[in-house]
Amino acid sequence: MDILLQLLMSGVALGMIYAVIAFGYQSTFATSGTLNFGQGEALMLGAMVGLSLSGDIMGGPYVNYWLMVPLVLLFGALQGALVEFVGVRPAIKTKSEFGWIMSTIALGIIFRNVAENVWGRDDLPFPSPLPTTPIHLFGANVLPMELMVVVGAILMMALVEFFNRRSIYGKAVVATSSDRDAAGLMGINTGLVITFSYALSSMSAAFAGVLIAPITLTGASMGAVLGLKAFAVAIIGGLTSGLGVIVGGLLLGVAETTTGFYVSTGYKDVPGLVLLLLVLAIKPSGLFGKTTIKKV
Amino acid sequence: MLVINQLKAAYGQVQVLHGIELTIPKGQVVTLIGSNGAGKTTTMRAISGMLKPTGGSITLGGKNITGLPAHRIARIGLAHSPEGRRVFPTQSVRDNLLLGAFTRLTFGGKRARGDIQGDLDRALDIFPRLRERQFQQAGTLSGGEQQMLAMARALMLNPDVLLLDEPSMGLAPILVEEVFHIIGRLKAQGMTMLLVEQFASAALAVADYGYVLENGRIAVHGPAEQLRNDPKVRAAYLGIVQH
Repeated sequence: MDILLQLLMSGVALGMIYAVIAFGYQSTFATSGTLNFGQGEALMLGAMVGLSLSGDIMGGPYVNYWLMVPLVLLFGALQGALVEFVGVRPAIKTKSEFGWIMSTIALGIIFRNVAENVWGRDDLPFPSPLPTTPIHLFGANVLPMELMVVVGAILMMALVEFFNRRSIYGKAVVATSSDRDAAGLMGINTGLVITFSYALSSMSAAFAGVLIAPITLTGASMGAVLGLKAFAVAIIGGLTSGLGVIVGGLLLGVAETTTGFYVSTGYKDVPGLVLLLLVLAIKPSGLFGKTTIKKV
Repeated sequence: MLVINQLKAAYGQVQVLHGIELTIPKGQVVTLIGSNGAGKTTTMRAISGMLKPTGGSITLGGKNITGLPAHRIARIGLAHSPEGRRVFPTQSVRDNLLLGAFTRLTFGGKRARGDIQGDLDRALDIFPRLRERQFQQAGTLSGGEQQMLAMARALMLNPDVLLLDEPSMGLAPILVEEVFHIIGRLKAQGMTMLLVEQFASAALAVADYGYVLENGRIAVHGPAEQLRNDPKVRAAYLGIVQH
């Protein structure tokens, strides 16, 4: 029982990381129907920039972890805006249905190559801002950093939700998501809203990067698998449902940790991906995906 | 107020408008009538920037707005209540109305802020059904209520010119009457409007001036009164073109 609880808790922390990255996939899909397949690399860049700022690899530390986080968020936002401007905007303009897929993948590979050259190919340790001794919680051992992952992830998603509901700019983002042409008629610059959603998307990935880096290792290749699994989470939960990515993330996270322990670590990725296949076969819009009701 | 000169527009390779001339003077209601597929909605879309014209020019209050994106045309002061209502279904009625005032609420919007709360109240007075449902999701409204919302939302821009595309489409007869009553009220308040309507006789009754569109060209135009008595126009109401 204790072990199961332990596995559940680790699964939750991992799942929330997936949820944050998947949240980023959702934000661009909502406004533009496109996705940034370089999300994993955005996460990696966030972690590497964070390590350069608050670790000792680039002659630092320059700032402590808590001051580094907002800087990394800013970096992530700029990086996302760049991806939109270079890779996605031309594809949207020419109404190319698949152009953005190739260009975001290509940009992701470029970012990884750059990272390999700047920071090397080896994984590096990321100093933890919180004590690394586990604390006791309901009979399980939890790293303080794992708790912070959960709190940070929920906080970020809650803030974005609050922004969308309460501010006129957030309402404009939601309006752009539901009807881009009509939003334009309201005077909303929908192109700018799409750039913003890419900035938000990469910002959430970079945030996930600095949250997870202290519990794993940091390196140029850390993003690829995380980005892919988060994509699976976005599909499982539904690309249109905010709640869906949290549930999907938790499902995948817990499935991984429990399979890793009870079956074999070699198979830990299997149940989540089987779930992905099942969802695609039975409910392609995702577990919580909405099909919009249109009144005529 | 709004002057359209030799306007041409196309969907892909298909030319829909072949050089349209329209003038909408300040404070007047102008109606555009014609059969299905004549290009009425296309004209509206080309004016508001939903569709990029392929030729001609459009000036709004002396400013050349030809080819500008929709959001910039809205900021200059043109509101368009589009065909098919196009309300934001997941957001509340109130949020839809606030989005109509987006250009007044934001820094880049450029429209004078004015009394937004007052305008919101006035919009809800004109459309009391919306007041009852202001916190409801717009997607849950009936078709008629959504049409009211689309009109109210366009008014929230506090526009210099208002385009209304088929405001009575799909409505019950009693609501159609209400919509025309509201258009009459807006006219009395001095609103400049371009109205596209399937109920051509009702549209000509409320309008000052009318244009008849046939296959992407203006066939006849004149004061609304005169058009109502024109036998050729009477034929065009029914979508029958006699040569």
